[in-house]
Amino acid sequence: MSKISSVLIDLSGTLHIEELAIPGAPAALELLRKHVHVKFVTNTTKESQNLLYQRVRNCGFQIEKHEIFTSLSAARDLIIRNKYRPFFILDDKAMEDFEGIPTEDPNAVLIGLAPEKFNDSTMTAAFRLIKEKNASLIAIHKGRYYQKKDGLHLGPGAYVSGLEYANGVEAKVVGKPEKLFFESALKTLDPNVDFSTAVMIGDDVNDDVLGAIKTGMRAILVKTGKFRSGDESKVKNVASSFVEAVNMIIENKVESD
Amino acid sequence: MHLEEQKVRWAAGHESEEMDERVRQRRSEEGGNGVKKKKKRKDLYQHSKVKFLSNAKGNSNRNVARRLQRLGIDVREEDVITPAPVVAQYCRENELRPHLFVRDDVLEYFDGIETTSPNCVVMGEVEEGFSFDRINRAFRVLIDMPKPLLITMGNGKFFQRVDGPCIDVGAFAAALKFSTNCEVLNIGKPSRFYFEQGMNALGLKPEEIVMVGDDLMSDVGGAQACGMRGIQVRTGKWRPDFEKMPVTPDLTADCLFDAVKHIADNGFRL
Repeated sequence: MSKISSVLIDLSGTLHIEELAIPGAPAALELLRKHVHVKFVTNTTKESQNLLYQRVRNCGFQIEKHEIFTSLSAARDLIIRNKYRPFFILDDKAMEDFEGIPTEDPNAVLIGLAPEKFNDSTMTAAFRLIKEKNASLIAIHKGRYYQKKDGLHLGPGAYVSGLEYANGVEAKVVGKPEKLFFESALKTLDPNVDFSTAVMIGDDVNDDVLGAIKTGMRAILVKTGKFRSGDESKVKNVASSFVEAVNMIIENKVESD
Repeated sequence: MHLEEQKVRWAAGHESEEMDERVRQRRSEEGGNGVKKKKKRKDLYQHSKVKFLSNAKGNSNRNVARRLQRLGIDVREEDVITPAPVVAQYCRENELRPHLFVRDDVLEYFDGIETTSPNCVVMGEVEEGFSFDRINRAFRVLIDMPKPLLITMGNGKFFQRVDGPCIDVGAFAAALKFSTNCEVLNIGKPSRFYFEQGMNALGLKPEEIVMVGDDLMSDVGGAQACGMRGIQVRTGKWRPDFEKMPVTPDLTADCLFDAVKHIADNGFRL
């Protein structure tokens, strides 16, 4: 097996759960850094890089802010690459990641999670931009719904689907498990990266593991966070936690799926 | 064509409020034609039965008719067909207990229908009073159902308003379907069930009926799929690129008046 050069690591559920580090994970990360390049990857629609960074630091991990690559970072990359001037339907907290992006005369609609902005006038504004100005539709991700303290809430996927239907277009989705997401994250480590030498570590069998495998990477599923029994049967490389995953990488025991 | 000997009967599509405004504007611009137009309209009523089959879902039939009358269009309430009363009847016949996501103006049609512990969601006008909370309530009702059912009044992508196109109920139905995997039942054009309401009201066979409307897929295509003929008018949401679309109207006319004139001039044949 070719030697592993780069590792993408999921945050929540893999390195930490809320404010607590997975036992042994901070030391394991230090060890891993001696062997490979790392990047931290996560789907978020409202937490800026800065906010995530503070949380991971508070759990005891030695990381730098620029090492975190989120679905918002992927969106930012896509926007810059395509010279998009987006109409943002996004939580104010996430806007921090889009500083300096021009927004006048929009040629794109970017949808994240901002329930209070989902009303008929925002949707019609987005609809018109796509219909009349040929604006591109970009989704941070297409979550169906999510749980809040007071119950279930429609996720951004609902609104993205509504606009797709009304305009007869397909949105570009930028978060995990999209191929583009993993590619963009890896290319920040090495623009000429060989995907088969890269490994993804995560607790979400679909968004982290199977998504990365589709991109041509190898992947390890950790049995922490949102892992559910039965998930392990869908993939080759399974570790009890991030600590064991690091050992598998150092010992070059990560198989291709 | 064997139909040519028959008199063409007609179901004219009622256009949205904003379109009516345009019709009115055009009329005042073409003031000299007023008398001729009145004559044509009289001809139309004399020679044909007319029903107004609309997807208007935010107003009662009474208010739809009144609005048209205010614009000088000769419409009786009993000739107006809109989805809300049809949906209410469907709920009664199928023992459905709807969660109502509709405007107050059409609530009267649902009088007497049980709405506690809902087993479907009925969605109508979403333009006014629409907020995240309202659609999220509908979402929560659907996601809690063993077999979620969403009844929509039309599945339009957008409707035309004076200030531009506005997103329509179909988009919100697609949103709810994506998140709840619900079954979506459209009671509005272009559903066959809804066109049948119009045919029954006219008491005519489909081949005796012509539908006139501005929505190529919903009005013209929907009518043709039911065996009627469809006339496209170049007003409202009409776009030049309609000609590249998979539906071919039996006639395309600049406006309703021209469509009527064409038929009247041909001895009520199409």
